[in-house]
Amino acid sequence: MSGVLAQYDTLDGTVEAIGRLRAAGHSELQIFSPIPSPELEEAMDIHSSPVRIWTLIGGITGCVTGLLLTSGTSLGYPMVTQGKPIVSLPPFVVFMFELTVLLTGIFGLVALLVHARRPVIHLDPNYRTNFSVDRWGVFVPADGERRSEAERLVRETGAVDVEVSQ
Amino acid sequence: MATVELETPRKRLTLADANRDITRPIQKPAGRYVLLVLLTMAGIALGAGAWFYQIAVGLGVAGITHPVMWGVYITSFVFWVGIAHSGTLISAILFLFRSGWRTTINRSAEAMTIFSVMTAGLFPLIHLGRVWYFYYLMPYPSQRQIWPDFRSPLVMDVFAVGTYFTISLLFWYTGLIPDLAVLRDKVAGIRHKIYGALSLGWQGTVNEWRHYRRVYLYMAGVATPLVLSVHSVVSWDFALAIVPGWHSTIFAPYFVAGAIYSGVAMVMTLMIPLRWAFGLEDYVTEDHFENMSKLLLLTSWIVAYSYATEFFLVWYSGDPIEIESFRWRATGAYALPFWAMIFCNTVIPQTLWFKKVRRSVHALFVLSIFVNIGMWYERFVIFVSSLAHEYEPASWGIYRPSWVEISILIGSFCWFFFWFLLFSKTLPVISIAEVKEHLAHEHHGES
Repeated sequence: MSGVLAQYDTLDGTVEAIGRLRAAGHSELQIFSPIPSPELEEAMDIHSSPVRIWTLIGGITGCVTGLLLTSGTSLGYPMVTQGKPIVSLPPFVVFMFELTVLLTGIFGLVALLVHARRPVIHLDPNYRTNFSVDRWGVFVPADGERRSEAERLVRETGAVDVEVSQ
Repeated sequence: MATVELETPRKRLTLADANRDITRPIQKPAGRYVLLVLLTMAGIALGAGAWFYQIAVGLGVAGITHPVMWGVYITSFVFWVGIAHSGTLISAILFLFRSGWRTTINRSAEAMTIFSVMTAGLFPLIHLGRVWYFYYLMPYPSQRQIWPDFRSPLVMDVFAVGTYFTISLLFWYTGLIPDLAVLRDKVAGIRHKIYGALSLGWQGTVNEWRHYRRVYLYMAGVATPLVLSVHSVVSWDFALAIVPGWHSTIFAPYFVAGAIYSGVAMVMTLMIPLRWAFGLEDYVTEDHFENMSKLLLLTSWIVAYSYATEFFLVWYSGDPIEIESFRWRATGAYALPFWAMIFCNTVIPQTLWFKKVRRSVHALFVLSIFVNIGMWYERFVIFVSSLAHEYEPASWGIYRPSWVEISILIGSFCWFFFWFLLFSKTLPVISIAEVKEHLAHEHHGES
């Protein structure tokens, strides 16, 4: 894809570049960062993640599974032990809790993979290995006049390395 | 370039420094390291040999017999589950409280959690004798439609420890993904392929990070009550029985505090030599050890308070059986382990009131080993001295561990250290992403 790939050595510079590029109408940016940064998410106007819904569904599924597993199997083979009711909720709460936690975690990781679109075999052609060290990357897909404008903007915002792809 | 201070700095660090310094240990191992691995493997062979001997000959080769049917194996199970606790405490609870000092120790503490649960999980299997029947505890649809008794704390234990292991592993792996990408980009050849596969093609895009941050937060959120629940459930294995010395309502908080106490001590036991061996003094500083020392001092007081409360409640109840059980605990055949427990867990940690001790890694290393010993003895004293001196004098008895049990105990320590040694040479012992986040945000704040 043609465009401009700019590398920054500070978070502040990257945030500024995103702001100016978006103000100039370059909204389809691809941002690489060596660290998690709420500042970058704000600059890209991203505020939430659907993984919270997945974890909620996982938690509810776990809790219900715990209740059904313990009560259902107890009712299926109704043998009184320790003089307690067949469906003894206080001890069953432990299983409901454990399965709630278990499925919340599993659903959370699955959600991460689904929404982050991982795993992948081949890395993105715009990825550079120093993005995992100390550089932030901003790729601006553009051609013609827009590409020249993007190149000018990233240079003005302090990009330490700029690659222009045709 | 971000060149800012990390906690108490010895030098000003950059993001590239963090990458280079933390991944430095991941290279061809030195002779000392290979020797240590071989030593731990020899210990594992000793333990495995003793276990196979027990399987071949029968559970009679262990010292456990009537009236003490829970000895070294169950003591060690609870000890290792307890060790696991500080990993989740440091990684999840301190994360939620935004305690910045956890950043450089959480990875190793989480690894310790996983390896100690792996070690703990062996002991109930060893204790079973006929290990091939372990699956009876699992809920599976059998031919006769017989399911586990979900009112039993032993079945709760299977779920609690299983969930704890799974969540700890997922939490640890999630935290590792960005660091695995760092390693993928650093190395070549077959290692590049292995780290590449493990990192799932991570590229650090904003989209990846935004989901990652939330998942990590939610996992920390669910792991926090889990860490409190696991040792509570373990304590109910005992507290729900009517054995004098066990049947107590304080067991859950008492066990949880003890678990955190022993776990923090084990983190020190591992981190002090690790930071020396890998030259990580700029990242794991005296400040970190001082904070851990304060946690150790606090939990030592909770443990001491629990010991005092146990005795007070027994005296206040006026129950002659309980009173006799506790009198015998302090003065009977197991008085030596009891007083060793008191000395190691309540007396020695008082040296932590002195700042000089809290900031001396040598003193802390010695102290942490005393705490580890004291906490193993604590479980031994609770389980064995209670069972050995129950209601009827006719059923009293003395338990002494056999060579088989001692060998398996030694093997378990070697098994634990073996995995930790492998971890320390193949994965970053400090979270690179978190350290860099800390550095970059300090820089962001300065500008």
